[in-house]
Amino acid sequence: MTDSNIEFGDIHWLMDILQNIDVGLVVLDRQYNIQLWNGFMESHSGLSPQKAKGENLFDLFSEIPKDWFMKKAEPVYQLKTRTFTIWEQRPYLFRFKNYRPITGRASVMYQNTSIIPLESINRSVDHICVIIYDVTDIAVSREDVMSANQTLSEFNRTDQLTELTSRGYWLKELDREFLRCQRSVLPSTLVMFDLDDFRSINGHHGHQAGDQVLRSVSEGLRQTLRQTDQICRYGGEVFAALLVDTDEDEAVIFAERVRKMIERMEIKYGQQSIRATASLGIARYQKSFTTAQDWLQAADKALYHAKESGRNKTTVFQPKAH
Amino acid sequence: MTVTSTEVSLNEDQRDCYQELTNVAMGQAADRLARLLDVYVVLPIPKVNLIESSDLHMAIQDAETDSAMSAVCQGFIGSGIAGEALLLFNDTSFSDLAALMNYGGELDRYGELELLMDVSSLLIGACIQGIGEQLEIHFNQGHPVVLGQHCKVDDILKSGNHQWTKTLAIEIHYTIEHVNIDCDLLLLFTEDSVGKLNNKINYLLD
Repeated sequence: MTDSNIEFGDIHWLMDILQNIDVGLVVLDRQYNIQLWNGFMESHSGLSPQKAKGENLFDLFSEIPKDWFMKKAEPVYQLKTRTFTIWEQRPYLFRFKNYRPITGRASVMYQNTSIIPLESINRSVDHICVIIYDVTDIAVSREDVMSANQTLSEFNRTDQLTELTSRGYWLKELDREFLRCQRSVLPSTLVMFDLDDFRSINGHHGHQAGDQVLRSVSEGLRQTLRQTDQICRYGGEVFAALLVDTDEDEAVIFAERVRKMIERMEIKYGQQSIRATASLGIARYQKSFTTAQDWLQAADKALYHAKESGRNKTTVFQPKAH
Repeated sequence: MTVTSTEVSLNEDQRDCYQELTNVAMGQAADRLARLLDVYVVLPIPKVNLIESSDLHMAIQDAETDSAMSAVCQGFIGSGIAGEALLLFNDTSFSDLAALMNYGGELDRYGELELLMDVSSLLIGACIQGIGEQLEIHFNQGHPVVLGQHCKVDDILKSGNHQWTKTLAIEIHYTIEHVNIDCDLLLLFTEDSVGKLNNKINYLLD
């Protein structure tokens, strides 16, 4: 007598917990008709357990793709194993509003679900239970981190003034290309160049005007480039270009085009009209280079030579004869 | 609760017993897969080893850097025994996987995620359940995490919980006949679970 009272009390509590627990619980039979619909589901869907019971899941919730859901649920019936879905696959199973409709940033509730087998007395699985977890906060913060990382990596990849590739990123590309060259027979060529007498442009016209020159030259470069060329602002008024699959002669054509483009350029800053020229140094990849640094140095040497021998010209690195 | 560091050890009898336990679980799993997917799963002998945390780091690192490799991990716990199942797909063709799972959708990043989730649910679930049944442990399973999609290896391994040096690993190499599917299932138990697990095993050995 007392025993059965306690049992009845237990079940009563359990039902209360089932109703109030902040996790969605849905029991489905073999035909995907709803057999249990807890308080969480009622509150979020606006559908009472009386209305939901006996109804087919896919009829009531057209947002659940039948084929997709059955792929997850059938193994539970057949193999008696649990299966899972995560928000990365589908943001939600049931289209519910965010639990924080005012301050929450997502409009829907992101959900993870577990589907578990419910054994009947004869040990067959005629029912499954779908457990729905609200993972909106996790999903939103993950997506925040991802977009922050994305912005950060783009930020790191571009030079803020000229919007060319940043030096750091370009040097990594150079390392990669250097390794590729060691294995490949296709030539690659490096061009380093420097605006002539940039200090006097800054001195005469002011630093803002100098910045405008750098921006205009960069814009001109972007239009001269081929898609595979990698160009960066190496520092100050020095630029570097990595020309993949390009031999010396082709690089000279590229360099001369850049040199003439800059020479012809008339850069407006306010009322002022500024003209600039550039000196360029070219170095083709040589087997004798042991690091990417050697390659850079070779291009730098050629650039220095162009400067020394009168500026506004292109010089090609000549490796010492062995 | 203070956990004094206990030396994790494994004798030959225990190793054999773990191997046998896994064999039975895999047999059950293979049987289920055969019925569901109509394929024959090749069952090799599972490897039971004590591994160092650096070994694991390397294994997962490969999954991260090698785009041809994918990994799914899922935590499980029951009766004070906790661990993680790690499913590493080496050189597995997604189109073969799609054919196997009767997946008709497009094989973009989401399609691949679907497949990874479905396959790992089956392989991990079947194996953990099989082991649990024999040891009379009910394992609860957390939600699977696909590595390299939304998280970095270092984030997972540096999260502070990895102060273990050596742990028990059961490695199962699954291949499926006639298709290009080749994956490793690693069951890793936490250091403090190994003692409890050994007790259960000793009971079976008696």
